[in-house]
Amino acid sequence: MAGPETDAQFHFTGIRKYFNSYTLTGRMNCVLATRGGIALLLYFKLGSKKTPAVKAT
Amino acid sequence: MNENLFASFAAPSMMGLPIVVLIVMFPSILFPTPSRLINNRLISIQQWLIQLTSKQMLAIHNQKGRTWALMLMSLILFIGSTNLLGLLPHSFTPTTQLSMNLGMAIPLWAGTVVTGFRYKTKASLAHFLPQGTPLPLIPILVVIETISLFIQPMALAVRLTANITAGHLLIHLIGGATLALINISATTAFITFIILILLTILEFAVALIQAYVFTLLVSLYLHDNT
Repeated sequence: MAGPETDAQFHFTGIRKYFNSYTLTGRMNCVLATRGGIALLLYFKLGSKKTPAVKAT
Repeated sequence: MNENLFASFAAPSMMGLPIVVLIVMFPSILFPTPSRLINNRLISIQQWLIQLTSKQMLAIHNQKGRTWALMLMSLILFIGSTNLLGLLPHSFTPTTQLSMNLGMAIPLWAGTVVTGFRYKTKASLAHFLPQGTPLPLIPILVVIETISLFIQPMALAVRLTANITAGHLLIHLIGGATLALINISATTAFITFIILILLTILEFAVALIQAYVFTLLVSLYLHDNT
């Protein structure tokens, strides 16, 4: 089972230290990043639907 | 016969008053509270069965998970006794109602999830991404795991409802077929009657198995979060 004791065997550097699918922190950050990305996507998509384009007079 | 097929699943009422609460509470009188150190045969057998079940079910849990022992044992006893009582002729089975099963599944599942997020936040969030997932598959797998999490309570409730309802419907249909065939062909009616006996034995097993499966899955969700 993954945990802090098994994370010590992995030695990542750079961005992979924080975003990987092996360590607990890496997996958590990937999940949060994916969900945050989807939330942002929905926010901008729904936001653009609410404000219609202004008609030129 | 067609309009009577689903009549047994309607919420029962007596003189215009709903009695479904009384029916839900009825199984509790079949489990008397032990009042002595050495009890009578009924209570002793029930205590032995509860001890056997709880030992097996709580073996995988740590200290925190074992605080749910009373909840899990009450759950299996309630669902098991309700399902078995529903096999009596002309009785109402509360576990055929999706509303009731959702009312059991959603709070229990939510309790396990909230427990996990409260005490092991990092591990609970990391649970949504299986270890060793290839990089290109990470976003889609996170989405799939999130969806599978929210489907868990629905699956719990629908599994119990569908199994018990289907069993009752089959008994009703095959019983009706047996009666109808008596005047047409006695041999066919006898064969149908044998099938009905076998089906009833199967439904006894399904009643207990479904109670066990429901409780076991709640226990597994708890184990993942403690």
